[in-house]
Amino acid sequence: MQRWIRCAALAASAVYLALGIVSCGGKRESEKAGTLNVAAFKGGYGLDFFEDAAKEFETERPGTKVKVWGNPRVWEQLRPLFVAGKPPDLAYPGWGMDHWPLVYENQLMPLDEALAGKPWSGEGKWADTFEPALLKLGQHDGKQWMLPYFYNINGWWYDKALFAKHGWTPPKTWSELLALCAKIKAAGIAPITYQGKYPYYALHGFLFPWIVSAGGIQAFDDMQNLKPGAWKSAAVIRAAGMIRELADKGYFQSGANGMSHTESQMEFVNGRAAMIPCGTWLNSEMREQLPKSGFEMAFFLPPTLDGGVGDPTNIDIGIEPWVVPAKGKNHQTAIDFYKYMTSLPKAKQFVERKGTLTAIKGSDAAKLPSYLVEPAAAFRASKAIWSVEYIQWYPKLGTASQNATAALLAGTVTPQEYAERLEAAAELARKDTETPRHTVTR
Amino acid sequence: MPSSGGTRRSRTTDRGRAWFVAGFLAPATLLYAVFVVLPVCQAFQISLYRWRGISEQKTFVGLANFQRLAGDEVFRQALGHNLAFLLVGGAVTLGLAMAVAHAIHGNGRWARVIRGVYLFPQIISMVVVAVLWMFVYNPSFGILKASMQSLGLGRFAMDWLGTPGTALPAVLVTFVWHAVGFHIMLFSAGLRTIPAEVQEAATLDGADGMLRFRQVTLPMLFPVLRVAIVYMVIGALNVFALVYLMTVGGPDRRTEVMLTYLYEQAFKHSDFGYGTALAVANFAVVMALSGLAMLLLRRDPTEARA
Repeated sequence: MQRWIRCAALAASAVYLALGIVSCGGKRESEKAGTLNVAAFKGGYGLDFFEDAAKEFETERPGTKVKVWGNPRVWEQLRPLFVAGKPPDLAYPGWGMDHWPLVYENQLMPLDEALAGKPWSGEGKWADTFEPALLKLGQHDGKQWMLPYFYNINGWWYDKALFAKHGWTPPKTWSELLALCAKIKAAGIAPITYQGKYPYYALHGFLFPWIVSAGGIQAFDDMQNLKPGAWKSAAVIRAAGMIRELADKGYFQSGANGMSHTESQMEFVNGRAAMIPCGTWLNSEMREQLPKSGFEMAFFLPPTLDGGVGDPTNIDIGIEPWVVPAKGKNHQTAIDFYKYMTSLPKAKQFVERKGTLTAIKGSDAAKLPSYLVEPAAAFRASKAIWSVEYIQWYPKLGTASQNATAALLAGTVTPQEYAERLEAAAELARKDTETPRHTVTR
Repeated sequence: MPSSGGTRRSRTTDRGRAWFVAGFLAPATLLYAVFVVLPVCQAFQISLYRWRGISEQKTFVGLANFQRLAGDEVFRQALGHNLAFLLVGGAVTLGLAMAVAHAIHGNGRWARVIRGVYLFPQIISMVVVAVLWMFVYNPSFGILKASMQSLGLGRFAMDWLGTPGTALPAVLVTFVWHAVGFHIMLFSAGLRTIPAEVQEAATLDGADGMLRFRQVTLPMLFPVLRVAIVYMVIGALNVFALVYLMTVGGPDRRTEVMLTYLYEQAFKHSDFGYGTALAVANFAVVMALSGLAMLLLRRDPTEARA
C-alpha cells in the first residue's frame, strides 16, 4: 500500500515537472516566420485602424499575413522581447517607452535607404511625403531611426458655447489672459485647470510656450542643447513667474495640482473650469464624457507675452514614433506595410476616422472635425515648430524638471529657486557621460 | 539492545519515508527554486551591472550602483516615507484593529456584520481602493470636501493629494483603511482562542477593563500580534500600487516610496542596474526590519512568566 502511495507521489511530481517545462518552452503562434508581427500602443485611437490597414494590406499582397497586437502598456511587454532578441517586425511602442536606448544599443534599423526609395504609390521619394520638420524628430547622428505617424499640437482649449454665452474671446496675449481670468472668476467659474498630477502638461501648457515667447525659440533650443545657464535664463524665470502669478491670483482651479489628466479634463468638459492646456488628443481622450449638446471644444495657442521676442506662430508639436526593430524577421514587409499606412489616402482616412493630424503632407486636406480646424491652421501658419525632446533624450532631466514644476505650482519654491533647481538638473545631464548627447538644429 | 534485523528494517522504512516526503516536497521546492530563488540571485547579479534593459548589452560596474545608492538623497527620502507607512500607518492600523476586534469580540450577529464591513476593503483590488479614495479626496466633487463644508470646516478643505504637506498623510489614511480589516480579522480569531475561563478568572481576581486587557488579553494574543507586526513590516516597506496610482510619488517626490522610485529608475530612466540595486536594498531593509521585529518579539510573555 505504502509503496503505491510512494509511486503515486513520485508520478505526481514528475507530472508537475513536465507541465512546468512544457509551459515554459512552448512556442508561440506569433513566432511563425512569414507573418508580419506589428505591435502597437493601444491608446485613445485604438488598434482598429491598424488592424483594418493590415487586412487591406493582406489583400494588396496576397500570401502575406499581418498580425497586429497591442495594449495600453505595450512598452512594458516590448522590453523583454527586445532583450530576448525576438522583437516584432514593426512597432509603435507608445509614450511610455524610453525610445532612444533602442538606438544606442542597435535595436533599430536605420530607415534612410527605405526613405530614399519610392512611396506606396506615385513617383519620388518616400521621405518627401512626410512633413520634413516632423521627420527630423526621428533622426540622430545623421540617420533616421524613427518615423512619425500622427502628431500632436499642444495648446489651450476652451468651450466655444460657454465663451459665446458670456461674451468672452480666447486671449491672445498675457494681458488679455489676465483680464479674461478676472472676468471668468467673477462669473463663478475656475479660469484655468490643469493636470497637476502629471507636471508634463504644465511644462507644455505654461512654461515652455512662455519661455519661447519671452526669450525666443532660441532660448528653448539652448535649454534642450544643455547650454550652460540656459535653464536659469531670464526667460525661464519670467515664465515661472507668470505661472506663480496665475496661481497667486487664484486663476488656477483650486485643487488642480493633485488632479490626474482625466480628473482635470472632466472639470473642463463639465464647465467647472473654462480653459485647459492639452495636446490635440484631448477630444478623443474625452470622447465618452463629452456632453451631448451645448459643448463645443475649440483650440487656441497659449497666450504670448505682450512685446515678447518670440515668434507667436511657433508651435509645440510632438510625435509618437514607429520603429522597425533591427532583429525583426520581415524588414521589407514591415517597411512596405508602413508605406501603405502612410500613403495619402490612408493618412487622410486616419485624420477623418481618428480626428487627429498626421505627418503626411496634404493629409489635413481631409474633412477635419471642428476642434481640429484651428490646430491645422496653426500648423500651416507656423514659421517654425519646436518639440519637447529632452524628456526622451535625458530622462533624468525630464523627471527632475517635472518634479520641480510640481513644486513651483504648489508654491514651495520661488521662480528664482525653481530656475536654480532646473539648472542644477541640467548640470547633472551635462556631466552624464553615459547618455549620448543630442542637439536641436535649425 | 535491538536486533540487527530490526535496525535494518527501521532504516529501510526511514529511507522510504524520506523518499516519500521528498516526493511531495520536490515539485514545490523546484518551483520555488526556479521562480523565487533563481530570480533573486539574478537580481543580485544584475545590480552589479549597468544595463538599460533593452538589449543583452551589460557593462560590469562592480559596486558602483550601491555607491550611488549610499549617497542618493531621493532613496533616503523614499525610505523615510516607507518608515512613515510602517511606524505611523502600521501603528494606527494595529491599534485600531485591536480596539475594534476587542470591542466586537463575540459571535453575535452584529459582530459578524461589523467584521464583514471592515474586511470589505481587503477583498477589493488595490486599484479600486486607490480610485475610490481619489474620488473621496477629489477637490472638486469629493465627499471629503463636501462633508467638511457641511460641517462648517470649508476652509480646511484643500487639495489633499496635490499639496506637498498633506499628500503623504492622505495616502496613509487610505493605507490604514485598506489594512485595518485584515488585522481585525486576525485579532478576532486570536481573541477567540483565549479560553473564557482565563478571562473569567482574571475578572474574579479583580482585573477588569484596561488592566485585564493589558495583563491577560494582550499577552495571550502575543503570537498573533507578532505575526501582524511582521506582516505589517513587509506590507509597509513594499507599498507600491497605492502610491503609484494615487500620487505617482508626487507632488515633487513628497510621497515617493522605495518601489515607485525603483519603477522610475528602471522603466522611465532605463537604468535597470540601478533599479535592481534599489530592489536589493529594499530586500535588505525588509529582511533586516522583519528580522529585528522577530528578534525583539521572540519571547512570548506568557512563557516568560511560567
